[in-house]
Amino acid sequence: MTTDNRQIDTLLLPNQTIKRTVLDNGIVVLVAENLAADIIATRIFVRAGSCWDGMQSGLAHLLSAVLTKGTVQLSSWEIAEQVESVGAHLSADAAADYFLLSLKTVSADFAEILALAGQLLRSPTFPEIEVELEQRLALQDIRSQQEQPLTIAFEQLRQAIYKNHPYASSGLGYEATVSQLGRNDLQRHHQTYFRPDNLVISIAGRVTTIDAVTLVEQVFGDWQISETPLPTLTLPPLGVQPEQRITSQNTQQSIVMLGYLAPSAQDADYAALKLLANYLGNGLSSRLFVELREKRGLAYEVSAFYPTRQAPANFVVYMGTAPENTVIALLGLQTEVELLCSEKLSEATLQAAKNKLLGQYALSKQTNAQIAQLFGWYETLGLGVTFDTHFQQEIMSLTAAQLQQAACQYLLKPYVSVVGPEAAVNLTLETSRN
Amino acid sequence: MAAPVFPATVSKLDNGLTFIHQYLPTTPVVVADVWLKAGAQREPENWSGMAHFLEHMIFKGTATLPPGAFDREIENRGGMTNAATSHDYAHYFLITAVPYLEETLPHLAELLLNAAIPESEFALEREVVLEEIRQAYDDPDWLGNQALCESVYPCHPYGRSVLGTEQELMQQSPEAMRCFHRAHYQPENMTVVIVGGIDLEPAMELVNQTFQQFQQRSCCPPPAATGATLNALPKAAPANRPLQPRSSENLLPFPSGIRRQELYLPRIEQARLLMAWRGPGVEQISSAYGLDLLSVILAHGRSSRLVWELREEQQLVQAINCDFLLQRESSLFTISAWLEPQHLEQVESLISKYLENLQNTPVLPGELSRCQRLLCNDYAFSMETPNQMASLYGYYNTLATAELAVLYPQRIQSFQSEHLQCLAQQYLSPQDYVVTILKPC
Repeated sequence: MTTDNRQIDTLLLPNQTIKRTVLDNGIVVLVAENLAADIIATRIFVRAGSCWDGMQSGLAHLLSAVLTKGTVQLSSWEIAEQVESVGAHLSADAAADYFLLSLKTVSADFAEILALAGQLLRSPTFPEIEVELEQRLALQDIRSQQEQPLTIAFEQLRQAIYKNHPYASSGLGYEATVSQLGRNDLQRHHQTYFRPDNLVISIAGRVTTIDAVTLVEQVFGDWQISETPLPTLTLPPLGVQPEQRITSQNTQQSIVMLGYLAPSAQDADYAALKLLANYLGNGLSSRLFVELREKRGLAYEVSAFYPTRQAPANFVVYMGTAPENTVIALLGLQTEVELLCSEKLSEATLQAAKNKLLGQYALSKQTNAQIAQLFGWYETLGLGVTFDTHFQQEIMSLTAAQLQQAACQYLLKPYVSVVGPEAAVNLTLETSRN
Repeated sequence: MAAPVFPATVSKLDNGLTFIHQYLPTTPVVVADVWLKAGAQREPENWSGMAHFLEHMIFKGTATLPPGAFDREIENRGGMTNAATSHDYAHYFLITAVPYLEETLPHLAELLLNAAIPESEFALEREVVLEEIRQAYDDPDWLGNQALCESVYPCHPYGRSVLGTEQELMQQSPEAMRCFHRAHYQPENMTVVIVGGIDLEPAMELVNQTFQQFQQRSCCPPPAATGATLNALPKAAPANRPLQPRSSENLLPFPSGIRRQELYLPRIEQARLLMAWRGPGVEQISSAYGLDLLSVILAHGRSSRLVWELREEQQLVQAINCDFLLQRESSLFTISAWLEPQHLEQVESLISKYLENLQNTPVLPGELSRCQRLLCNDYAFSMETPNQMASLYGYYNTLATAELAVLYPQRIQSFQSEHLQCLAQQYLSPQDYVVTILKPC
């Protein structure tokens, strides 16, 4: 078998045509017409994710849980009934950088469910009893996070990297903050941020642009922009002060995680770090998978991730391993990341990494929901829908020297997080090269 | 209602392999998904974990393909590949741009047909599988479900973990694995599905050329459960009259009464209540779909009975799910709740009341049609991409026949309240079930 590292001829999927329309009240509407299936997916983004929680960590999350549980016209039961009786999907979530209302319907039900989404976003009532219920469940969710070693490891890593920055939180918030929240907080937050000039509506599926925009106009067109200016988001500055955090508990595996403070999506180095993360930890031919799993049998799950964020994102590599391998795993991960700075990738390796990333990227834009999500997200972060093409071009033009430089700039001083049996994790304290 | 036309072509190659193809003219992607009747259910006694371990070892190459080479070939072309093993099947897929299928599919065939299972890689990859097991053991929900399955299927492979156990894996050898491979990775057990931007003729030719040289059959100890167990299903048995076991059968009759176990786990912040019932296998697919519909009525969405009553109204649970798992020989119906330990008894008895109600009172037409629509839409939502389609065809062909895949919406729509009531009476007895409880210690 030949090892063929030529550049792949074409991306797997043609780049989507996205029509962007701005309504008079400032709502940005994106439409991707896609006739393939009788499905329409809609993602409504509000710039009100958990980054906007301020001191009230967990606020956006609680708001997302209660938003669908009462409007001026409808009760919680009526809302659920309306969605489920047409077999639609409707859910609200709070990510760090945005608040999201997701809808999926067969095309015939699109108008009805979009109208319901309009009611939810514009006139939620946050019934007291629902706030109490969802608050209690959120507090339990926070406790339940402690059940998963990987979640504990990531939580303490974020705490170390982000300290008082909102990215330190999982988004669920903390026991101390969530227990203080009340209906008034939700109402005030909603009033401040849920406004048409803070909204992106992204639609993909069997609908024409004209029809989609007309429907959005009908549902949201008369929503007035508040006269109060939108508060500007100020996030605390971030510095790099690597440290090690350890939780000992009696688990079957140790989780070993290294984290780095890396650029935001707006940064010129974003594409380089994306390619590095993909080269290291995505797919069966990725560097960590081959070196630590295939050749050394140290892990089942070994991976890297670097999310697309409006503020500096974390770049994380991690694995789960038998307790007696904890130190070896830590050194193994560290060695692999350091290699990115000390050695330049060969041209063949670079090309293979680009092909892998671009192929995976194209395959992640197959369903209507994926398409609506990606473009809406780019628009919400201020990157614009053209970022899709721009990003792919950036990836294609990256050189090995640029990657090496980016690795040397960002990936030399890891924050270390370890979770596992006491004897095993304590050893890492002595051996880490940190 | 006319039966929906099956949009794919099913053919049998000369060697007995089943080939399924569907051309999607507008997609530049093509998916090849190879399904094998070689899941954990085929494992001989004391070989637990072999099918899944073999799935790992397949990627370790052949005489002509070094370990990892296949993964590189696929990913260097912007494609993706992976595999999965369950009780009823193992499957391996690749997704690639259309022009690359011709050069990548032969490599997948080479891996599957000529797996070398090298000695040195065997011990190394076993470490990876043991890590997978350790990771599962750190997941309380995995532990709970595994304990539940063992209790539902005490004498059938469905009760064993697909991952196997460390003890049994340590006793296995590359020779035994080769024997398992040669016994089961044979054309009559294999379905090759190709869906995407490639025409029938070139696809068929490609499959014909590449899936040709199968290994010489070897005999392997017989599966712990054989096909004969199909006869042992609890067929239409009235809920409170257990079937008498016959000695050759591994699916013992479902317990009459309640089979209860409690596990105390460290590090859990909430209790779990897991209740299960055994349903029919694919031979009674209509009844199985009816149970699927009943699971939606009970706990799918906020307006479903258990979610509304237990989470929203009485506020006794953090979450509650009802899952229906279709398996070849016996399907599994489960209700799982996450809750505070002090509510365990009350919730269990409320769930039993809801089941009693399903047995005694027909579902109202409005509720029924809502749930039917929900399932039919979910079905449509799950057929959006070529890989979803390929996977569904392969799955159904491995369990029964591919054509069943597209009959689902029609079958779901055809249910009347009385059918469901009968099925609830037959399969979901509030007096006969298995329950596993996890409590914090």
